[in-house]
Amino acid sequence: MKAIEVLDPKVQACIRKRGFTLLSDAQKEAIPLILRGDHTLLIAPTGTGKTESAMFPVFNALLTMPSDGGFKALYITPLRSLNRDILSRMQWWCSELGLTVGVRHGDTPMAERRKQALYPPDLLITTPETVQALFMGKRLRHHLASVRFVIVDEIHELAGSKRGAQLAVALERLHVYAGEFQRIGLSATVGNPQDIARFLCGERPFSLVQVPVAKNLKIDVRYVGDDFRHQTEVLSQMLKREGSTLVFVNTRVTAEALGHALFERGDVEVHHGSLSKEVRIDAEERFKRGEIHTLICTSSMELGIDIGRIDHVIQFGSPREVARLVQRVGRAGHQLNTVSHGTILATGFDDLLESLVIAKKARANELEEVIAEQNAADVLANQVAAIAVEYGEIERQKIVDILCRTSLFREPALLLEDVCRQMEEHRLIRLDGSRIITTARARRYLAGNLSMIHDERKVPVFDMVSRRTVGTLDESFVVGWVHTGVVFITKGQLWRVLEIADGKLTVEPAKKVSGELPSWEGEQIPVPFSVAREAGAIRRSRRITDYTSDPDNVAYAGQFLVEMDKNRSLVPTDRLISLENTDDGVVCNVCAGHKANEALGRVLSVLISARYGTTVGLELDAYRILLRLPFDIRAADVRDLLLSLDPAHMPGIIRLSLKRTALFKWKLVQIAKKFGAVDPDADYEKISIIRLLEFFDNTIVQQEAFRELLTGYMDIEAASAIARQIKTGEMSVGIGPHSLIGAGGLLSSRDQIPPPTADQAILSTLRRRLDQDDVFLCCMNCRDWKSKTVVSRIPDHPQCPKCGARLIAALKPYEEDSFTMVKKSRKTSEERAVEQRLMKNANMVLSSGKKAVIALSGRGVGPENASRILATLTDGDAFYREILKAERNFIQTHRYWT
Amino acid sequence: MNLEFVGDGPALVVEDKLRFLIAADLHFGIEADLAQHGLHFRSRSKDRLERLLAIIDRTDPDGLVLLGDVKHSIPTLTRQEYYELPRILATLRDRVPLLVFPGNHDTGIERYLVPGEIFAREGAVIDGVGYLHGHMYPSPSLAGHLMIAGHHHPLLTLRDRVGCALQSPAYLRAGVNNVALRMAEQGEADAPTRVLFMPAFNEIAGYDLFQIIRNPTSPLSRHINSDDTEIILADGTYIGPLKTLIPDESD
Repeated sequence: MKAIEVLDPKVQACIRKRGFTLLSDAQKEAIPLILRGDHTLLIAPTGTGKTESAMFPVFNALLTMPSDGGFKALYITPLRSLNRDILSRMQWWCSELGLTVGVRHGDTPMAERRKQALYPPDLLITTPETVQALFMGKRLRHHLASVRFVIVDEIHELAGSKRGAQLAVALERLHVYAGEFQRIGLSATVGNPQDIARFLCGERPFSLVQVPVAKNLKIDVRYVGDDFRHQTEVLSQMLKREGSTLVFVNTRVTAEALGHALFERGDVEVHHGSLSKEVRIDAEERFKRGEIHTLICTSSMELGIDIGRIDHVIQFGSPREVARLVQRVGRAGHQLNTVSHGTILATGFDDLLESLVIAKKARANELEEVIAEQNAADVLANQVAAIAVEYGEIERQKIVDILCRTSLFREPALLLEDVCRQMEEHRLIRLDGSRIITTARARRYLAGNLSMIHDERKVPVFDMVSRRTVGTLDESFVVGWVHTGVVFITKGQLWRVLEIADGKLTVEPAKKVSGELPSWEGEQIPVPFSVAREAGAIRRSRRITDYTSDPDNVAYAGQFLVEMDKNRSLVPTDRLISLENTDDGVVCNVCAGHKANEALGRVLSVLISARYGTTVGLELDAYRILLRLPFDIRAADVRDLLLSLDPAHMPGIIRLSLKRTALFKWKLVQIAKKFGAVDPDADYEKISIIRLLEFFDNTIVQQEAFRELLTGYMDIEAASAIARQIKTGEMSVGIGPHSLIGAGGLLSSRDQIPPPTADQAILSTLRRRLDQDDVFLCCMNCRDWKSKTVVSRIPDHPQCPKCGARLIAALKPYEEDSFTMVKKSRKTSEERAVEQRLMKNANMVLSSGKKAVIALSGRGVGPENASRILATLTDGDAFYREILKAERNFIQTHRYWT
Repeated sequence: MNLEFVGDGPALVVEDKLRFLIAADLHFGIEADLAQHGLHFRSRSKDRLERLLAIIDRTDPDGLVLLGDVKHSIPTLTRQEYYELPRILATLRDRVPLLVFPGNHDTGIERYLVPGEIFAREGAVIDGVGYLHGHMYPSPSLAGHLMIAGHHHPLLTLRDRVGCALQSPAYLRAGVNNVALRMAEQGEADAPTRVLFMPAFNEIAGYDLFQIIRNPTSPLSRHINSDDTEIILADGTYIGPLKTLIPDESD
């Protein structure tokens, strides 16, 4: 307890009164530094009293400060629920010490807000978004001038996101009023603490306190089979022991499914973001009181919300990331110096290997890095609008100064220039020389855009057939991609869009289509490159025992690989990419994680779509890429592409490919919203939004969409590294039969890469039309045989069944009569001319076979045009292009129109 | 009579005795309306006008036929239109004689046109071809002619073997029922009348053409014969009869 002896006696008394007898390492180390006035980043596991570490010295300082109104300290957390939790903890301390505390966020009632404006509490607990709102009111701005401390809790949750970038700018906007204030960041363990500190402090010096988490972790991995019923039975058995358990799952759907399966036990509740606040708080309270022993939750419970004692953490399915596992398991044994117990229940082969790798990395403290959003143009646009409203009008240089103090903008002046020009385009600000002036729209814009979180309007999907709503889609997705006639997937089913109107999507069930469409049912947590690679290494070495001693795990994984060998399948590893032909296309098994596979998959798709002129469907996960292809493009073709990949060209190829994809359009709409081009409640009906998006070509909005996708959604570096390894031979590429591994996995991300020109869609429409065309085959030799059929059924060289001749004329339905004319023995000169045309026709079929029939089926294509087409001696697409040319000429003529 | 398709319009050149450039649905001033609906963009009038002027220069017509919805706002003029329209129309008039068939969005446009430029909303036959905007019953004088109409903004979506690949403005050419369109009496022997729906010149206007047929909203679209309907892309590529595209919809 030595560390607190430096504190004010009143604070010391309080600490004793609260019953603290021991200080944690985190507290011991951090308190003196913070008391000294250092900007401090404290990295420690949940439950080590981080909040107190920060607040004891802050209380100490607040006691000595005059109470002259104004906020003295801001405590910022990423979640409202965390705010409530912190508030209930702070209230006791503040009332003991005679300080005032308040909370302000989206749920705070108007009356409370007004009170805060009149009598600002010393300590204000808030969210990054509400910090934004504080700058909008004159009185609140005044109160900000007295801020001396800013505490950012769970900073690792913010540092890697646009929300975080927005907060970093807000802190420097605060600096304008408050001058230098002390910054304290509280973080869970991360791979790159220095970067997080920079995020908080910019270029200012800081102190770093790190309390390692790994030594207190005990993590088991257990294979529980791939049958959901069996999985829930195992889980249920595990819950029978004493004590309380948190069960973490990766999706809300899984949370619901498990909750449903375990409902009858009566001691289980579900907790995730889609549930209402009341339901969630009730579950938390009941868990805290010990009325229920198990809480099934998503990442909503990762953060330090106090729900009392947790004895054990179960992770259902691979945690995907090391940091996530550490964070989740760290919730167990919520007392000082106790070991945190966690068990991962692995649900399949990939899942098991991945879990083993992640568990090992967690023990070795090898956590992922949190990468801050550098130069995010939409964050800047949002902040320029906010600053314009805040000041009415402001010199550009002042904004540059603000940006320069953060660590997130390189060359801010240039970026600001582009952003301002774009914002003026959307009438969000006005520019007057070097000044930026607010507009009537800006305040309204801010009200709807305080947050950088894409709070998406959901578009209901209404099934015409069953006349019920079957789900919802993200609005940006609908706007950017969906149009009448397209097929998409939601709830695991195919739907065709009939109409987009009145804010809803009317659909009908679709049967199997050759192409599946993009679907994002919640963004997935990506598996990092290093984890997927190491899982690939286990497949190669087969030394599962290096990772686990559990006999079930070893037996299952061993057996799985033996089965692969028995089927003569290639086992893809960190040194082998295996390609497999399937009915849908080609599976490329690449152990590279989601982001690298996303990059690699897109490069392959765009190369294929360019070479073969077809759209390529793309689905992928951390271990495989499924390219949906026409049947004639096979694994060998994909192998050739892989072998000839030039790593230097990959970034350019990806940029090129992105522009026309659903993913890009979806991002573009989201970013356009932040630039004020699209209101949150915009009405898109009756205009072609897809063509509207073309207005963003070569603008900063488009550039930002590229930047975000290329840094956040894919890992080009890693994909290029793989291409290099293929070149040097470190990575081999093999073709094998469709295997257990290739067939496995739930593919999480879907998109389509269209070809660079629309030519192919037109050509396939033309082929389909000509195939379906009715045609009369008439024998010009015996002149006694006539048969009606469709073009697709005609053999390569049609022959008369009566006389065996191949002198067959192919007539359009409306030309049928001319054959009757020809059969006449006495002909007029006109009829003789018709006969000559038919002979010409038949001679062409005689020499060119079906190809002549196809050419003759073209709209307005007579024997003359057909012989011109055939004379080009073209084949395939080129041949059909000649027909298109002839048709295009025809419809420009009088004959077509009258 | 010959037709030329100007793909970068979309626009048409119709040539018989005279040579006319046809464009439909320019919707000058649409940006003010977009803003009302939450989409905020600066005015594209200048770009749109320049595109049209370039086509006029290239095609060198004897007259420019605007098939309605030259302006956008109804029922009144917006500030944007008040400032932009006079100059736009004057610029066009300087190059080539104007023939305007007012559409449902053209309320108030008369004040910016000079006498002789405005034609009947129900349409008129010029040089053997019928022209109208297409939101009303056509004048009976158009019976037996090719009628070229705007108003519907047809947009075609095509798929290749894997998925969706193309969305393009398109023309819809269809036979119409003269009697239902009140252009002829029942039993009257009449020459067949065809209508050609033009895609919108405005770059963001577009409406799925299958919707035009499935949920017709105008007299013309209600009384077309869908068996005798063919689709042509903006650049004159012949796509084919509508019915060959329908199976594509329900595979």
